[in-house]
Amino acid sequence: MAIEATKIVDARGTACPGPLLAAKKAIGEIKSGDIMEVLSSDEATKRDVPKWAAKKGHEYLGTIEESGYFKIYMKKN
Amino acid sequence: MTLALFSGSLDKLTAAGVILGGAAADDMDVDLFVLLQGARAFKKEIGDDPNKLEMAEYPGLKAEFLDSLKTLKVKSWIEFFREAKELTNVKIHICGLAGKIWGGEKLEDFVDIADDICGIGEYIESAQNADVHLFI
Repeated sequence: MAIEATKIVDARGTACPGPLLAAKKAIGEIKSGDIMEVLSSDEATKRDVPKWAAKKGHEYLGTIEESGYFKIYMKKN
Repeated sequence: MTLALFSGSLDKLTAAGVILGGAAADDMDVDLFVLLQGARAFKKEIGDDPNKLEMAEYPGLKAEFLDSLKTLKVKSWIEFFREAKELTNVKIHICGLAGKIWGGEKLEDFVDIADDICGIGEYIESAQNADVHLFI
């Protein structure tokens, strides 16, 4: 089943903590139950963003590796 | 979190900025105390001008460090601090003694992200009450 993201945050090309802060800003702009997709080319983000999402009570849905970047999905609590 | 920022060097200020970014993502309250050498960088005429700041580590590799930051699109230390202040409760206190050492008596002598000028007692109290205490 395809995941439909309400919000796509393109943080490709920024280094840590850029994608994490982009995710933090964007999650405030969506509603509870909405799905956010974070695009990042930063390897550290692949670990950081899911951990951050879980700590903040959001549901981490998974990560898809594309060529040269990652797509990280979460559902807002 | 309480952060004692003793260093006024380009590399350590950048590290402090990245750490503040992490704290901001986590919605932490941060009290940052700018001590001795740190206060020099907070002077209005210094700020994030890389030509006016030195490296604490690898002083000979400043140009390489700055080039890498630019390539990686890493913000300047002040931009990191400002972004963290926008996202979470970060209060920046300039040590009164440190300010005087570098010729800053009033809050207006320092960059606009500074919140107040304080004494060491406030730092000690903050450190006693903090879950996380860093000295940079």
